[in-house]
Amino acid sequence: MKVTLFATCLVDMFQSNVGKATVELLEHLGCEIDFPTAQVCCGQPSYNSGYVNESKEAMKTMINTFSHADYIVSPSGSCVTMFHEYEHIFKDDPIWGPKAKDLASKSYELTQFIVDVLKIEDVGARFKGKVTYHTSCHMTRLLGVKKAPMILLSNVKDLEFTELPGKEQCCGFGGTFSVKMAQISEQMVDEKVAHVEETGADYLIGADAGCLMNIGGRIERNLKPIKVLHIAEVLNSR
Amino acid sequence: MSMKISTSDFKERVDKGIHDSFMRGAVVGAQERMGTRRLDATNELGNWEEWRKHGEEIRKHVLEHLDYYLKELSDNVSKRGGHVFFAQTAEQANEYIRGVIKEKNAKKVVKAKSMVTEEIHLNQCLEEAGCEVIETDLGEYILQVDDHDPPSHIVVPALHKNKEQIRDVFTEKLNYQKTEKPEELAWHARDMLRQEYLTADVGITGCNFAVAETGSISLVTNEGNADLVTSLPKTQITVMGMERLVPTFEEMEVLVSLLTRSAVGQKLTSYITVLTGPSEELDVDGPEDFHLVIVDNGRSSILGGEFQSILQCIRCAACINVCPVYRHVGGHSYGSIYSGPIGAVLSPLLGGYDDYKELPYASTLCGACTEVCPVKIPLHELLHKHRQTIVEKEGKAPISEKLAMKAFGLGAASPSLYNLGSKFAPTAMLPFTSGDKISKGVGPLKAWTEIREFPAPNKERFRDWFKNRDKGGDQS
Amino acid sequence: MTGSIQNRDEFLTQIATSLGRDSWMKNAPVRNWQHQPQHLVLKDATVDELVDVLRLQCEKIHTTLVETNSKELEKTLKETVANHGGGPIVSWKDERFSKWGLSPLINEIWPNEGISFHEWDYTKEMENISFAEKANVGITISEITLAESGTVVLLSDKDKGRTVSFLPATLIVLVPKSTLVPRMTQAAQKLRSIHEQGNLVASCVNFITGPSNSADIELNLVVGVHGPVKASYILIDDL
Repeated sequence: MKVTLFATCLVDMFQSNVGKATVELLEHLGCEIDFPTAQVCCGQPSYNSGYVNESKEAMKTMINTFSHADYIVSPSGSCVTMFHEYEHIFKDDPIWGPKAKDLASKSYELTQFIVDVLKIEDVGARFKGKVTYHTSCHMTRLLGVKKAPMILLSNVKDLEFTELPGKEQCCGFGGTFSVKMAQISEQMVDEKVAHVEETGADYLIGADAGCLMNIGGRIERNLKPIKVLHIAEVLNSR
Repeated sequence: MSMKISTSDFKERVDKGIHDSFMRGAVVGAQERMGTRRLDATNELGNWEEWRKHGEEIRKHVLEHLDYYLKELSDNVSKRGGHVFFAQTAEQANEYIRGVIKEKNAKKVVKAKSMVTEEIHLNQCLEEAGCEVIETDLGEYILQVDDHDPPSHIVVPALHKNKEQIRDVFTEKLNYQKTEKPEELAWHARDMLRQEYLTADVGITGCNFAVAETGSISLVTNEGNADLVTSLPKTQITVMGMERLVPTFEEMEVLVSLLTRSAVGQKLTSYITVLTGPSEELDVDGPEDFHLVIVDNGRSSILGGEFQSILQCIRCAACINVCPVYRHVGGHSYGSIYSGPIGAVLSPLLGGYDDYKELPYASTLCGACTEVCPVKIPLHELLHKHRQTIVEKEGKAPISEKLAMKAFGLGAASPSLYNLGSKFAPTAMLPFTSGDKISKGVGPLKAWTEIREFPAPNKERFRDWFKNRDKGGDQS
Repeated sequence: MTGSIQNRDEFLTQIATSLGRDSWMKNAPVRNWQHQPQHLVLKDATVDELVDVLRLQCEKIHTTLVETNSKELEKTLKETVANHGGGPIVSWKDERFSKWGLSPLINEIWPNEGISFHEWDYTKEMENISFAEKANVGITISEITLAESGTVVLLSDKDKGRTVSFLPATLIVLVPKSTLVPRMTQAAQKLRSIHEQGNLVASCVNFITGPSNSADIELNLVVGVHGPVKASYILIDDL
């Protein structure tokens, strides 16, 4: 099966390990990876700040870049949610509307793709350690992917899972919110980190680069002994 | 505008909220408890989504036919002997109510909790006219006794106060001599207020839902104060936002069920009271005169526009009880009697962007509010719409941000610019980088790195790795 | 009684304009609901099952449920009042009291025991309220009883003062089993049908669910704030 990878700008620039793990994992599951190099940012940072028109060119670039794909897969729930949002943004546009709809219909978050499309619940991973999992807001509430990451993690050998208190509570990232409302964001991420600490887990896992960068950045600043990993990295360990 | 509760700016208010450790503990505790109760009460129905959809269709239908139902309501209220006054502005509403008070030569007014009367600052207006106004909802009473401290939550107005603070206020203002036990405090208020009900000339209430078909109004409480307010004084004035009505008892019932489960996790609250007109001729209790004041105060400019769905709101505060931002900053930070997500959407609409332009940004757009709203208001989408309006129509965004976003838009839109920018990012960031992280950023990164580390851009971008790999390069 | 309407035309015209209409809507809109979950709750429950639901719910709302039949009612009521500390008692005026054999209790037993009893009498006007204000117990009758929420529905009338349920410290409601319905849905339908048959709906309809309470101080539940501190339902098997 040919899979077109939407890496996201955060992964491309800052978290290339996540991209590598995603590629290797999907290949391990029998997919052939295609990476269109014309892909840019999905436009979410400016769009969410209210700059809708300024964001549209980036969206159109993405629609064109991925028009050839059968399946678009991304290791970021939030960015996939944005792809789905295009459909609403261009709904009154006779040219881009149908294209945006087509894009949304074939875009999947990584774990969602593995469970719902590939119909695989056990990727054959082995990961030794005590982990907890943060459910990202856009992925769970807006994209509606709740079970897939849990199913996949539950089948990872040697992995000791512990539930994160308040797991559905926002970590305080929110794109530009994290800098625009830095003081509030700090309180939110601190509560998140405190909850992670409460679990006694050695690893915090997530499926969204933005949230992980936020929580991870705070953990690192406060020198907490917790490692932050993307779910692709865990599912790709053997 | 009149719903304003503070003269300090947003940053100052947030700073005060964040440093109020009691308030924050109270809010976190309240969110946990109310959240669990709401979940239990909604899950036990087994088909909550169906209930939400029905709630939504009722509210949408009413808004789309609001002129018809308001006419029907007013006809039926007057048929039962009530007086209906349509007030386009807060001033008109206040003036009418003051007129009734003067005509009755009323000296004392007892009030049941009402957000719309807070919105129009009715109390202040009546007090200026020389009338004593007494709030009877326990929470509102506490705030009133404490020199009119503003409410911080639309269902639990004194949420930000602890029992010791309440004891001190009662001791100072009411000559209270008992302990901080909630029972003792509440019973003191009960004793004080009993006498007020019995001697008040006028009772004023809000309205949860008016019923067009019969000209009824309904009041939802747990304390029973609204019942005493409407059965002892000889004149009753009910003030309602113009959107707060339903076609018949059958829709009222559904919305009441959605409200009580979402607000407090109860199947029904202790008292749901449906009043139609003044009391009957031979009734001993109940008002001889009934006035219904229907308030627009900016609502008609929301109607028919892209924010119309906010008028579906039934004031349950479920969105406030799950909001992660409200959780940390508390109600007063919003600077409006309407706080939390509903407040962040409604306050700029009713009070204008000049006072409330920050509120739509006080959200991560996490969608928790939208998920719990019993009438399916897409709250986080409306917050986003506000941002778009502020940027595009109001032109209120800072110029530096506009330039940055424009640049971002261009860079993100063009594959070659993006490629170039991301390729040289590690070099550009080098002066700020130590090891694999940036601890002291500049520009927009400064606010980030004041709190957290920022990762240094990868020397080899993902796309470079992938390209090299295709060429048979390093595959590790 | 004649009412009045002021400032309506201008107000409704503004709304019509916002909604994109030239003038306000004159014809009744069609209501065609796509979702009706409220009718499914306890849909096929028998009376006994409804009683089970009511019993369980009463525990959650701090309300004592006493089950009895019309023969035993006098004894049950006497005991219930005694358990709540006796009189003074204020009650509605309702012919069902004598039908249920309560006249001896009201007219002889309680007076002999020195328990003062006041039956609502509209001709005595404010005297009723003065009495209710000092009463320990108020007695009313439920016209419709909602099993799901444990709610009694009271309809006001010249003989049925509103404040009987609010001013005394204890509220005792007589609940005929025949008034049990699944939930508020059926009560709403009944009230609506009263109106549709051309009758007036009572000027005050009280849906009462247990005693008065508040959680306004640190979310601590305080029972008995403005209304009754205690509540008992006496379920009468009248079927």
